[in-house]
Amino acid sequence: MRQGWKWLIGACAALAMAAPAKAETVRMTVSFYSAATGPYFEKMAADFHAANPGIDVKIEVVNWSSLLQKLQTDISGGTNADVSIIGTRWLLDFVKDGIAEPLDGMMAPGFKERFIGPFLKPGQIGGKTYGLPVAASARAMYYNKAMLTKAGFPDGPRTWDDVVAAAEKIKADGGNGFGLMAKGTEVDVYFYYALWSHGGDVLDANQKAAFNSPAGVKALTLYKAMLDRGLTEPGPTNYTREDLQNQFKQGRLAMVMTAPFLINQIAKEAPTLDYGIVPVPTGTTQATYAVTDSVVLFANSKVKPAAMKWLDFLFTAGPRIAFTKGEGFLPTTNDEAKDPAFTENERLKVFVNLLPNARFAPTVTGWEDTAKAVSDAVQSVYLGSATPEAALNAAAAKANQSLGK
Amino acid sequence: MLILPSLLLALGVIGYPFYEIIRLAVSDVSRFGMVRGFSGWENFNRVVSDPVFVDALVRTLVWTVTVVGGTILVALPVALVLREDFWGRGVARTILMLPWSIALSMAAVVWLWAFNADYGMINAGLQHWGIIDKPLQWMARPETAFPVEVGIGIVVSIPFTVTILLGGLSSIPSEIYEAAKIDGARPWQSFWLMTLPMMRPFMNIAIVLNVIHVFNSFPIIWVMTQGGPNNRTHILVTYLYELSFYLGRPGPAAVVSLVVLLIVFSATAVYMWLREREG
Repeated sequence: MRQGWKWLIGACAALAMAAPAKAETVRMTVSFYSAATGPYFEKMAADFHAANPGIDVKIEVVNWSSLLQKLQTDISGGTNADVSIIGTRWLLDFVKDGIAEPLDGMMAPGFKERFIGPFLKPGQIGGKTYGLPVAASARAMYYNKAMLTKAGFPDGPRTWDDVVAAAEKIKADGGNGFGLMAKGTEVDVYFYYALWSHGGDVLDANQKAAFNSPAGVKALTLYKAMLDRGLTEPGPTNYTREDLQNQFKQGRLAMVMTAPFLINQIAKEAPTLDYGIVPVPTGTTQATYAVTDSVVLFANSKVKPAAMKWLDFLFTAGPRIAFTKGEGFLPTTNDEAKDPAFTENERLKVFVNLLPNARFAPTVTGWEDTAKAVSDAVQSVYLGSATPEAALNAAAAKANQSLGK
Repeated sequence: MLILPSLLLALGVIGYPFYEIIRLAVSDVSRFGMVRGFSGWENFNRVVSDPVFVDALVRTLVWTVTVVGGTILVALPVALVLREDFWGRGVARTILMLPWSIALSMAAVVWLWAFNADYGMINAGLQHWGIIDKPLQWMARPETAFPVEVGIGIVVSIPFTVTILLGGLSSIPSEIYEAAKIDGARPWQSFWLMTLPMMRPFMNIAIVLNVIHVFNSFPIIWVMTQGGPNNRTHILVTYLYELSFYLGRPGPAAVVSLVVLLIVFSATAVYMWLREREG
């Protein structure tokens, strides 16, 4: 009898502990990368729920351009989800305010080792892991094979001199050679491609602005000269990255630098387009920009273990391969990188091979201000209202103020 | 005593946000609204010393004056025409009101497409008629982008303004025009000496409401140029939005919104004073 009571109490306690677990809901905010993003996460949530009936995952898809604003509003109001995708370059602000939870203590053994090192690193601050790389991309140059063959570069341009020479020929045929983007996000990055390949850097070792170096002036002068000689599309301050990608898909633009996901878009929207991909042209050196988006767990989440379980599931090989393939990103975990979808894709390989020379956005406060200052400087040069040197120096002064230097 | 609850409600609705704005304006605030400490005038100094702010302030005034002025200049003749009794007037009135039913940001998106350099109907039309020989990059330069935005601002303000003016016109009895005609007044005389003075209160309302609305009008500029290129189409609201949500600086943004509040408040005060003097 006594034993029976004990058993009953034990059962009750177990029930009491199991009951709240049954109602656990993990909310996740994800960014809209493509039309496939929402369905992918919904499917993963369903699969996860089937394996873990105690945990419900609710997905919320938000446009990339309004994601940070939404998070800002949600966080100030305390109504944020449990986990969210964020731009890794925002992470420092999250960590500084204690909004992101360090994950190291909650990770299953071997979890951290699943990731490709350089992609995990931007998500680590002060020796702790806050962000898990969910999406990664690098940048390379897409070229229209027909146009470049006619211009004498059937294998694509290798150096900036090649780009200029090819664009001259394409212009003579009445086409637009080099796509120059100067509207919307990443205007600064488009300038950094040339800056880095001329041996320059955005910030120096002391996190002070360094983009106004001779390399920077040279890079911006190169772009401006191409614009003045009619080697780009007219009016670059009117063209966002998407505009240029569309022009490229329609065969109206010979060369444009952008991310791997354009491969998927071309396959879907312009399957007959004959194009190739080459590394970002070199000036004095080889360089590209790599960027990751990370998943963070919010410190105010009440279902941290459940959320971590969900993240663990998301970062297993199956879900990862489906995601990265569907969106056209680069693999961020070692297991998915072994999949033939990535190892046997010649076009994607160009991007993967660039990674050893890739630069990431530094984790500093004031990065958004620096980006804005550089974008403004670039635009003022294209509009002809400032010389490259003066514009970059003014931007550097502004950036240094925001960087606290 | 009986109005006390509503008074308290009004005080809460107006007072609390106002208090919050002032608190943010004098604090060092993080991107996520976390107040890190008192910063005194630092946010103010930062905003005032930003050339983009001064630029945006001036441009806001230009924007308001040109859009409101242009709207009145176009809406008045339109209203006069629509007052006349002609065949199809009802249809014409409806067509004129239709744009009103479209959300401003949607209208801006549609216009952005119309002014697209490569596929836009404006360039296509101008090229078809031989006015230009190659596509114009309307949105690439502030010199063309801003006037385009002003033009669209005028177009979307017309339905509302015409409605007010038509209401005003219908309140003028037609007998006085007949009387004036018999006395030998020419049409422009009766317009200048009768219609305009009698329309004055309605014009005032149209101007004031438009000023308040246009001054804070965000969607057109944000959708079309986001204040760019090189910050040269910013007005105060778009600058404020960029500060707060792109650069993550609620403190300085609160300062800008105080400035906006101050300007709208003084515009209203001037209007009240004018009315007082007239009345």
